[in-house]
Amino acid sequence: MDFNLMIEITPLLVKAAWVTVDISARALFFGFFIASVLVFFRTSRITPVRWLARAYISVVRGTPYFVQLLLVFYGGPAVGLRLDPFTCGVVVGAFNIGAYMSEAIRGAIESVDSGQNEASRSLGFGRLETLQYIILPQAAGLMIRSIGVLAIILVKNSSLVSIISVIELTYQAQRLIGSTYKPLEVFTLSALMYIVIIYAVMGIVEFLYRRATRYTFL
Amino acid sequence: MEFDFSPVIEYFPTLLQGIGVTLLIGLAVAVMSVIGGQIVAVITLYTRKVVNWPLRFFIWLFMTTPLLLQLYFLYFGLGELILIPAIVVGILGLGFHYMAYNADIFIATIRSVSSGQYEASRSLGFGHVRTLFYVILPQAFYRALPQLSNNMIIMVKDISVLSAIGIGEMVYVSQYAISVTFRPFEFYITIAVIYYLINLMMEAGQTWIERRAAYRR
Repeated sequence: MDFNLMIEITPLLVKAAWVTVDISARALFFGFFIASVLVFFRTSRITPVRWLARAYISVVRGTPYFVQLLLVFYGGPAVGLRLDPFTCGVVVGAFNIGAYMSEAIRGAIESVDSGQNEASRSLGFGRLETLQYIILPQAAGLMIRSIGVLAIILVKNSSLVSIISVIELTYQAQRLIGSTYKPLEVFTLSALMYIVIIYAVMGIVEFLYRRATRYTFL
Repeated sequence: MEFDFSPVIEYFPTLLQGIGVTLLIGLAVAVMSVIGGQIVAVITLYTRKVVNWPLRFFIWLFMTTPLLLQLYFLYFGLGELILIPAIVVGILGLGFHYMAYNADIFIATIRSVSSGQYEASRSLGFGHVRTLFYVILPQAFYRALPQLSNNMIIMVKDISVLSAIGIGEMVYVSQYAISVTFRPFEFYITIAVIYYLINLMMEAGQTWIERRAAYRR
């Protein structure tokens, strides 16, 4: 182990790690909105809309993230969709994670007993009010836990963005190996950084979960 | 470019073997990670800190490190101590990885079953373990289904990573066939379609179980 080298390359890797965090956080943020829209469509009363959402979820979950990235980045310009690598990573990541997340959100909402919905409606709450005051607070715990798992998968998947030449953690690590010929040191450091990022994500999830389930069960 | 699918047909028996291996691993890992995840979740929730601290560490360890690293560690690291067949290492590695993810989901769903259910069941004369087994866990399982199926779909795609430790699953086999026939596109398209079919079947399974769950609730 060459510790001098490790100290020397740390700033570069930290900078790249920040890109990883940035791209994942943005994808998660936009993915959440996409997922919300998908859940709305998926539970719609109009059958074609429901089928559209189902088809989208099925196709996105059924094809690898890798292929989706390549398709949008290299196939996009052919149909006039020209994105710079970072934006492409965020957009594809958001649309990809949105499909998974919509299933997670739907599962959480459906896990709330249907009696709650009926009771609330019969007390005079509207559909949206019921969702806001009765259903979502009870579904929040499970929802946060599921989204947490997906966020971790998103961070790990963000290493794939390196193939469309976004300089994030894995890409930077490979470049550094190319110039230093020290794979063990560089990969150890980058693995440590992934552990730190994901540990932070788990901490945030745990904190939000505690807050969301403050007044319920156990 | 021209597509010529005749080599795919020629090598289809080999490919079929790969599909078999993928399905076998997928099934084994699914069973292991779902049941194991439930066991881990129950132990984490219902035992003392001394017992569940190692399990929490286990979940933490498998969640924070990449799958490939875990596989290399299990295969090449443990391989120096005892010789384990690659397929067993693959199933164990993937199984532990997704067991950690599933356990995290089960912890949330078990806690989301209202405590009234537990109390009602105890007052009806069920013991602690029976209450868990007959009342809490079934409800928790049905609630976990959508996210479980997410995890399992991601898992099926992750089986391709196992080709790195030399397991002859679909991608490995098709890479071999490509190196002989020099027809990458045809083979990759074929296995992409097969993966998609597997995922469609899994989605159908998810909808079927969810219907049954809605009926029983």
